[in-house]
Amino acid sequence: MLSVNHEEALRFRGTRARLTGLSPGQAAPLLREMAQQVRRDDLRMIHRARLGHVGGDFSVIDILVTLYAAVLNVDPAEPLAAQRDRLVLSKGHTAGALYVTLAHSGFFPRRELDTFAAPLSPLNGHPNRTKVPGVETNTGPLGHGFPVAVGIALSARLQRVPRRTFVVLGDGELQEGSNWEAAMTAAHYGLSSLCAVVDRNRLQQGAGTEETKRLEPLADKWASFGWEVREVDGHDHARLLEVFRRPGAGRPVCVIAHTVKGKGVSFMEGRVEWHHKVPSDEQVELALRELSR
Amino acid sequence: MPERLNQPPYPTVLKPYGQSLVELARERADVVCFTGDLTRQCEVDLFAAAFPERFIHAGMAEANMMGLAAALARDGFIPFVHTFGVFATRRPLDQIVNAIAFPNLKVRILGFMPGVSSPGGPSHQAVDDVALMRAVPNLTVLDVADAVEARQVPAAIVDVDGPVYVRLKRGEIPVIFGGDHRLRLDRATPVTPEGGDVALFASGMMLAPALAAAEVLGAAGLPVSVVNVPVIKPLDVATVTSAAARARAVVTAENHLVTGGLGSAVAEAIAEAGLGRRLRRVGLRDTFAEGARTGPYLFAKYGLSTQAVVDAAWSALGRAGRPPAARPAQADDGEYAPV
Repeated sequence: MLSVNHEEALRFRGTRARLTGLSPGQAAPLLREMAQQVRRDDLRMIHRARLGHVGGDFSVIDILVTLYAAVLNVDPAEPLAAQRDRLVLSKGHTAGALYVTLAHSGFFPRRELDTFAAPLSPLNGHPNRTKVPGVETNTGPLGHGFPVAVGIALSARLQRVPRRTFVVLGDGELQEGSNWEAAMTAAHYGLSSLCAVVDRNRLQQGAGTEETKRLEPLADKWASFGWEVREVDGHDHARLLEVFRRPGAGRPVCVIAHTVKGKGVSFMEGRVEWHHKVPSDEQVELALRELSR
Repeated sequence: MPERLNQPPYPTVLKPYGQSLVELARERADVVCFTGDLTRQCEVDLFAAAFPERFIHAGMAEANMMGLAAALARDGFIPFVHTFGVFATRRPLDQIVNAIAFPNLKVRILGFMPGVSSPGGPSHQAVDDVALMRAVPNLTVLDVADAVEARQVPAAIVDVDGPVYVRLKRGEIPVIFGGDHRLRLDRATPVTPEGGDVALFASGMMLAPALAAAEVLGAAGLPVSVVNVPVIKPLDVATVTSAAARARAVVTAENHLVTGGLGSAVAEAIAEAGLGRRLRRVGLRDTFAEGARTGPYLFAKYGLSTQAVVDAAWSALGRAGRPPAARPAQADDGEYAPV
């Protein structure tokens, strides 16, 4: 099990406190800068490991950074605190985005990112909660995280604790039927403490979601399952913060975050092959330059 | 030490498991109960009436039910999850593996209506559930024999440090053991005198025909030692190999395919111990069990009868001539006898 980086954890607490006092519009530039840093480190990590899911990482990073830095009630110094909010990354193949976000939040030292996917590293290709503090659920097989997140919210209700639960889903992942079992269950129990975030980048491993197995009309699907639907630009930190901060009322909330796979790097954006392609040395240089603007 | 046993036809009781789950929940506030819309059939209508606030309808959504249970286990609850064995294992296997077994969570999965006891045909027969669950790391796998054992299941498994799968007969449950019988998770138990020519290992609903077969064979001059194996994983290898070592041949009997269940587990244990005893496995053989909606018919047709066990032991010892004929006890209403 990795352990906390105290210096980084302190800084994280400070950042959190500062961001909590800011309006979404005021917080957005800071969140954007953090997200770009996370993208750069993620890119270097994937390049070093010769393995990763850069496209999906880059579409979800703004969501994860906004949640960790400004929404979730979590403390890297006490990753198992009973009252903490929970985040389940159901699209577990984008573990890289989660690891870098957690490291930047102080859950473990950033230098550990150098071990990503190395033999015996706690930072596996898919997240493992017994090895990485901050990871709530082992995910990877798609359609697994959402049912567990519904259970976490149900458990909070049984225990009468006020925590919030977020689950981040891939859009292609929604082709797995277990998600719709979970959606039905959360609405049945009126779990308003639960927020499902769909990373709607419109691409899956081999092709577009709409060519592979049509998801649209996606918002209507969620609404008809009994969820309150909020659609946002998934790279607009102010909008993300606004919709995440506002809890649900009587119903679970689905945030459909419209995103771009490979966001931030011109030659990756919207291109299916960057699902898990590893960039060359030259491509890393080019990408880092774009991500430093 | 042989056990005190009733004689067939056995008296039966209703809902022994369901009653004792309620008793456990009275003492243990951490016990929660899930159902996949098979509440009465899985005896947990009793729990729903006693503790509605800890009773959770997951609906007919088994994959989702396992995910929910995993989350509650993580928060310190001990979920007991109920549906038919066939739905408890085949459908949500991926969730059991990844959401429950990999993180080693204390989820208890109760699969009712094992093997060919189902009236529903092959789609509703859990004939491979033990094989599937046995293949999952961290899981403990039980197949209990009667009401005395079923009654002890909740207390016996509640504190196991990891997930547990239990097969339970549905409906009228025979009382085979005396009241002093103890279900132990670490022991297979000899239930007839040891030292027979054949070591006969039985689990679940096959204990009754195994005992009946031992009577028939004993009367024909062939002493058989019956060992009840309620815990198939982890197998009590010491008891199994020591009983096998004292016998000339080994027979297993399970209400399941012979692939991957008790017969396979015993075969592995005696082969790894280098015992070289001839083995016969009684169970379904690479087939779907079709043809009737009554359990007794299927038990007879697919080789799970008392006679099938007698024949297996006879053949394992290479005895000449026809094996003795089994004359199963006749059961009245409210009684149970193996075919």
